[in-house]
Amino acid sequence: MKFKAFFTDKGVTTLEKKFVPAFEKIGKTCYVYLTRTHVTLMHNAVNADGVQAIAQFKEALLFDDYRISSQNEDRIAFTLDLNLLLRALKSSVSMDGDKLQIKLVKKRPSLNERPMPYLTLESKGFRSAVVQDIPISQPLSRGDVQELQDTIDAVHNLPRTLVQMPDLGQLQILVDRLKNVGEALDVAVTFHGDVHLQVSTTLVSIGSEFRRLQVLGERAAAGSTLDATASPAMRLEQALARGEASSVQVKIKHFAKSLQCSLTRPDTCYVGVAPSDSYLVMKFQFYAPATHHPDTAVTLHYRLPVLERVG
Amino acid sequence: MEETTESFLLFTPQDAICEVSEHGLVIIVEEWGCLQARVYYRKELFVSYEYSAESRPRFGVSLGLLVDTLSTFSSTGTTGLELSYPGSDMQLLLKLTDADNTCIYAEIRTKVTDTVPKEYSVDGDGGRRAVFAVKSAALKEAIDDLEWPGSSISITISPDPAGVILRGEGHHGDLQIDFPYDAHNELFAAFQCQSEVSYSYKYKFLRATTANVPNSVTKDNRGSKLTIGAGGLLKVQHLISLRQAQQHNMDPNPTQQGRVSYVEFYLMPDEEA
Repeated sequence: MKFKAFFTDKGVTTLEKKFVPAFEKIGKTCYVYLTRTHVTLMHNAVNADGVQAIAQFKEALLFDDYRISSQNEDRIAFTLDLNLLLRALKSSVSMDGDKLQIKLVKKRPSLNERPMPYLTLESKGFRSAVVQDIPISQPLSRGDVQELQDTIDAVHNLPRTLVQMPDLGQLQILVDRLKNVGEALDVAVTFHGDVHLQVSTTLVSIGSEFRRLQVLGERAAAGSTLDATASPAMRLEQALARGEASSVQVKIKHFAKSLQCSLTRPDTCYVGVAPSDSYLVMKFQFYAPATHHPDTAVTLHYRLPVLERVG
Repeated sequence: MEETTESFLLFTPQDAICEVSEHGLVIIVEEWGCLQARVYYRKELFVSYEYSAESRPRFGVSLGLLVDTLSTFSSTGTTGLELSYPGSDMQLLLKLTDADNTCIYAEIRTKVTDTVPKEYSVDGDGGRRAVFAVKSAALKEAIDDLEWPGSSISITISPDPAGVILRGEGHHGDLQIDFPYDAHNELFAAFQCQSEVSYSYKYKFLRATTANVPNSVTKDNRGSKLTIGAGGLLKVQHLISLRQAQQHNMDPNPTQQGRVSYVEFYLMPDEEA
């Protein structure tokens, strides 16, 4: 298998300043999955007991002269330590003007050991050449690669309704405080554009309701409104009873980690509940430069496992 | 409100008792049988205050939980927090609604409490009490320093030479901190003493009266008042300046009074005087 490409400037910035830091907050190592057309970073792709995050880039956004080949339909996947990747990218940034090449190699760490796979970043310039080797796992088997692909395909099967998320900074502060109170967070989304967050224990119940947010997909019928004078809890019950809302429970720790997605500086964020209340989904969009249209070259999804409700 | 209730946090996790009346709200915490803390929220401090009950409601609520809950509200930084009691199941209800369609709400379970907090008083007894008020920061620093010597601190207030002496004696040595009235007038906001009074108090209780006071108290430095009454009962009172709330139906002459709240501590002296 072979992989070689040159980073574009935008590619380095996108990864170094936005996506790798955000993904580092979720976990130390993640999958890197390369195909002929796309490059994907994934967390907890299979066997998700944590936040599952998938960032997919069209290769042209990150690389020039992208070359890949393998016996598995030109698909390659492995895991690596995000901190090492970040450090390598950061030190490459200081070498202005040089081309930064990335390639997959097999090297012996020392004479007595067997060859191990590495991702090598090579900065080639007039004055100097710097080589950084990032150790990676053995490339994944055909079966494992197919599982990654299946996960990506499943993620595109989005909830019927997605509601715009309230301001991420405000949410982070709120969730930080709610963490002191309990471990499980109830998240509810209504077709009217409301988002409810609540933590409950036997002694206290604290929640927050955000109303009139933008709705993507299925929304409430024009004439149908919720009682504006009722308490937030009653309003949510009303919506659930009418089938106009979904509510699930997630670990508040996972939710807090997902909010670190703000490091990628998305332009819009939406939250929704996957069919059969199986996951809580967050979808992020990045606008193409100087437009207000989502850039199809980058997609980011987070999926949070849902807790079995007790009682 | 969060700041003032946080000043109780030195206490072990337990219940605070809330008493609601037509005059306002009081939160009381008692510990070890000889230390009591109270925070007053007079009704004038609130933008609006509605009260109707046949007898003053009194209920218990977990102190730590109350503080954690209040901290979720203070993050938004706006006034307009609404408190109500009782909820459908005797809960304490809190709600904050923002201009931009955001609402934060909380329901805290309360407990029926049989405990009637002791009503301490340092007044009366025909003027045998001694009172002084000093800058809060100076008092806190003095008490922090007295951690070093030991477990019992004596407070002596004397008229001649006028002043206050705080003294601790311990294994490693003694430490005495003097507040002379004449030489350091600028520290004192009040001083009244007819005959010398001297009592000892357990250090950890004394420390509890100043350890967790909100930063605003030491920053504003308006003064903490200490009164020793009959039998050595010590009352420590801190003034806390509060942000001016929007005045709607307040009286047309808002006085200086309307902008402060009080935190009071009552402390019994050590058994051996």
